[in-house]
Amino acid sequence: MSTPATHPPRNGPSVIRPEWTVTIDPVLQKELERHVLVTDWNKLIGLVDTIYNWGRRSSLWPLGFGLACCAIEMICTASSRFDIARFGAEVFRGSPRQADVMIVSGTVTKTMMPMIARLYDQMPEPKYVISMGACATGGGPFKEGYNVVSGIDKYLPVDVYIPGCPPTPQALLHGLMALQKKIDGETITDLPWYRRDVEREIPVPVLGPDLIDLRTLEITAERTALGLIEAREATLEKPPRIPAPQPAAAEPAEDAAPAAPPSSKLDKIRARVQGTNPAAQGDGETSAASAPPKSAPRAARKPKVAPVMPSLRWLGDEGLAALADRINAELGPGTATIVQAALLIPADKLLEVARFLRDSNVIRYDYLASLQSVHYEDCIEVTYHLDSTSRPGSLIELRVRVAEPEGQGKLPSVVSIWPGADFQEREVYDMMGVRFLGHPNLTRILMWEGFAYHPLRKDYLEPYYEGPTKVLESRVEDGQHFRGEELNPHGTNIKIPQSYQGWNSLDPDADPKGVHLIPPSAAVQVAEIDSESFVLSMGPQHPSTHGVFRMNLRVDGETVVGLKPVMGYMHRNHEKIGERNTFLMNFPFTDRLDYLTSMANNWGYALAVEQLMGDDAKVPERAEYIRVIMAELTRIASHMWSIGFLLNDLGAFFTPALYAIEERELILDLFEWASGSRMMCNYFRFGGVAFDLPDGWLDRCQAIVYDRLERRIDELDRYLSGNEILLERCRGVGVLTAEQAIALSTSGPVLRGSGVKYDIRRAAPYGIYDRFDFDVITGTRGDIYDRYLVRLQEMRQSVKILKHAVHDIPEGPILPGKKSYQIKVPAGEAYSRTEAPKGELGFYVISDGTTGTAYRYHVRSPSFINLTALETMCLGHTVADVVGILGSLDIVLGEVDR
Amino acid sequence: MGLGTGILTGHLVTLRRFLRTFLVGQGRTLKRRGGGHQPLDFFRKPAPGTEPVIDQGPTTEGLFTVEYPDERLPTRERFRVLPVLIYDDEDGYVRCTSCNICAKVCPPQCIWMTHAQGPDGNPVPMPEDFFIDMDVCMNCGFCAEYCPFDAIKMDQNFEQSNYERHQTHIYSLQDLLVSSTYYAQTHPEAWASADEVAERNKVKKKKDQRLQKALAGPASGRPAPAAVS
Repeated sequence: MSTPATHPPRNGPSVIRPEWTVTIDPVLQKELERHVLVTDWNKLIGLVDTIYNWGRRSSLWPLGFGLACCAIEMICTASSRFDIARFGAEVFRGSPRQADVMIVSGTVTKTMMPMIARLYDQMPEPKYVISMGACATGGGPFKEGYNVVSGIDKYLPVDVYIPGCPPTPQALLHGLMALQKKIDGETITDLPWYRRDVEREIPVPVLGPDLIDLRTLEITAERTALGLIEAREATLEKPPRIPAPQPAAAEPAEDAAPAAPPSSKLDKIRARVQGTNPAAQGDGETSAASAPPKSAPRAARKPKVAPVMPSLRWLGDEGLAALADRINAELGPGTATIVQAALLIPADKLLEVARFLRDSNVIRYDYLASLQSVHYEDCIEVTYHLDSTSRPGSLIELRVRVAEPEGQGKLPSVVSIWPGADFQEREVYDMMGVRFLGHPNLTRILMWEGFAYHPLRKDYLEPYYEGPTKVLESRVEDGQHFRGEELNPHGTNIKIPQSYQGWNSLDPDADPKGVHLIPPSAAVQVAEIDSESFVLSMGPQHPSTHGVFRMNLRVDGETVVGLKPVMGYMHRNHEKIGERNTFLMNFPFTDRLDYLTSMANNWGYALAVEQLMGDDAKVPERAEYIRVIMAELTRIASHMWSIGFLLNDLGAFFTPALYAIEERELILDLFEWASGSRMMCNYFRFGGVAFDLPDGWLDRCQAIVYDRLERRIDELDRYLSGNEILLERCRGVGVLTAEQAIALSTSGPVLRGSGVKYDIRRAAPYGIYDRFDFDVITGTRGDIYDRYLVRLQEMRQSVKILKHAVHDIPEGPILPGKKSYQIKVPAGEAYSRTEAPKGELGFYVISDGTTGTAYRYHVRSPSFINLTALETMCLGHTVADVVGILGSLDIVLGEVDR
Repeated sequence: MGLGTGILTGHLVTLRRFLRTFLVGQGRTLKRRGGGHQPLDFFRKPAPGTEPVIDQGPTTEGLFTVEYPDERLPTRERFRVLPVLIYDDEDGYVRCTSCNICAKVCPPQCIWMTHAQGPDGNPVPMPEDFFIDMDVCMNCGFCAEYCPFDAIKMDQNFEQSNYERHQTHIYSLQDLLVSSTYYAQTHPEAWASADEVAERNKVKKKKDQRLQKALAGPASGRPAPAAVS
């Protein structure tokens, strides 16, 4: 027989020979089953599966990998209150090669995406991905940003999605249990990692002109060549641009209310919005202001103008006039012109003026508080906020204007005068394309080298751009909802210029983020060791960089001889989104700046807009007290976290951190009770706070303040301050002298740790801080230990403030008027300064008065600017010390990269 | 301090903390502190919905572990996760009037709706479609805060992990609706607050009027369309 009976033909009925079938007596069968294990193949597999799955589900080791806000909740899940160890998942591995599950916790940025893909590829099978939070799942609130990947599942296979922003630790545990359930349902027979035909490797996407997925390279190139993006953008309404403010002398003489220039620019906006040609109406200020455009009832309303001042506490009008006269007398007439309470300086005189202000002026302006740029219709204006550490609170603002077209703006760099301008100038270059001549290393800082655009320019439209301001067009069509992706011809968040040609040169192994930030050799000579130095890239995925921060280290042996921070891995386009949001909408976004201190961020932003709103947003007494209570509780929570994780960085892995963040949990309980969320409080409103304190809240707060916090601070003090290991690791390491700290624009505990008595709550008091009795704590040596000690003592001062505030808080309203979502913000410019736990948190807001959105919205973030000092502090120390020094800076990446 | 004592002290601290986790008061009983002083019990699990709530007071030591899912943190009334839409239990009436304010204040713009239309083509104060993209929502609570009709509220259910997002994460009107009873249970204080009571009474009155009108409708209502046409 040619066809064996054991191989029946595939399509025909199978042949069953009678001798193959065995009939067993049922009684015998039962007896057999009782004494002998009888099973079939499937049951056996099921048995193996049970054990196999139980083993895997009960030891899911997550990759120690956090991206943004959600990572903080992930750490809390691992802390003593939620104790992820109960699920066998406490072993957060530093290396992907030992991890089973990747918890993508936070916003996936384009800059970070290649690293994530690489980490995933390095994880051994079996591997799982949990997408934690809205951002990782689908882009979240930052989806519209130009540097945000619209969901990690665009690249990685996701097993479990956890909705929430951020999901609470309990929600993460629920997600983990969901993953365990999924694992329980797996069977060894069809697991993808045992199958040869399943490709699990993810090709690493490339940072070219945008983030390019190599799997779809051809189609991306094709669509780009067709110019689909450009064609779409041609049909969209562009963001309006306003002209830069002009000197007061050129205006009509209504001094009391200088309404003419803003109203004229507002008319221009209106004209734009209405689609008429602004040039046709002429540029005459008075005529445009007095003759409102016909048949436009909205325009007929006279727009309000905010009080003209750079910040709430500043030099004052007379002082500024005297200063301008002095500069003009000293450096030639026409050097300084007063424009909207700031000095307009021609670019070629900037260095002279800067030197004069720092060295020769009566008030020594030695502290560059903030540097930012604004894209106006006719120019790009770079503004400098200066303060003096010897005469705090005498803030002034300088304006320098450069050419508007992309890549043409040039001005001298002030790094030689205020070294703290270093990163800020690079940021302006990155975001607006303004070149700073004489800058030591003018490269992109937040985006990568080769990114095709300067994203904060008003003429840059993001891939998902829909309109200049929110509310956006409806996304419901025929009863179906469509996502933002469908607006983009590429179907994802990318935009590449039509002229791009370098498709063949895209290299997944290239490093466009760090390539220009290689520290030069021989920055420090190590005399006794005769060895070659080499460059070490530390981060962005590293357990001790406090997030996705990276340093390019040049090490000689173990000694760091050069260091360049590389950042931008968490750049979530906060400012670009903030310029489309209405003023109110920015509140929840500020929560996500420094996600450990959302209340403090809320306050900083509220203060800036309240400065513009003036008396319309006069904060009632009770709300002022609530604000202080919330801000100081935040400070304690943040400093506790900082101290705990400083110890983590010094090698005392996690146990001290667990202790330190215990109190934070109770404070978060208070926040959740009052505002509704542990971390993303969104509690402040213009002119007050969102809700009154719930019943019983104050009693609980009082009890915590009086009974617990001090005890715990004492405990930390007792355990740590005299601890020999801590002293050994921290004394004399990462020293920053007072002069350096001021020059490098550091702020907060870093500045005060170096012995500079400069606290915004005292230097430029806001809220009701002038009523409280507290000391500004300073250190003496400026090393890690002093920064630690300043934080510790500051918590004591915060408790002191809290005791007063909790005791004195009056009854009364919490908002000046009725709660409304329609916020009318007059035209003007404001810079608010607050002492956030990390340092000076400033919000620079320009309102055009009509659109209801900020024309320019800039965050002066303390974490970002404090990093300017990192290189100075680290040179000559070992790699292990660098980790400690970075820990003592207490950065939060959401705020560094914004 | 002598050499090496730092390490010893550290271990002692840890040990002390460990012991104190289980000791109540002066250390007489072996009970877990926290919610209701339950004794240690590794074998019996609470039934779903009856999990003890661990609300740690300020006078306690250290921090209690909340053994989720067998124990829970207290859910504060203002705790917010994702938005829901409320319908009134008595008559199934959806409170939303599709006034679009929630969509206007939504910072990441994740709320989209269309107005319902009556058979005659006139708009009806009800949503026809209502979508919330949960992958964009930032749980900020503005929609609930500024809703003038108490129609959209923030739900407290955080246990929403799932395995798929493209079909399930855009919540439609049907996914979003919860009953007013449910809302009254999750938000008792807000439910009893003067504002919401007033709003409910107002709506009730309006409904009554409409009912009266409808009842009287066949007699007096019919000529109206004729007059229009």
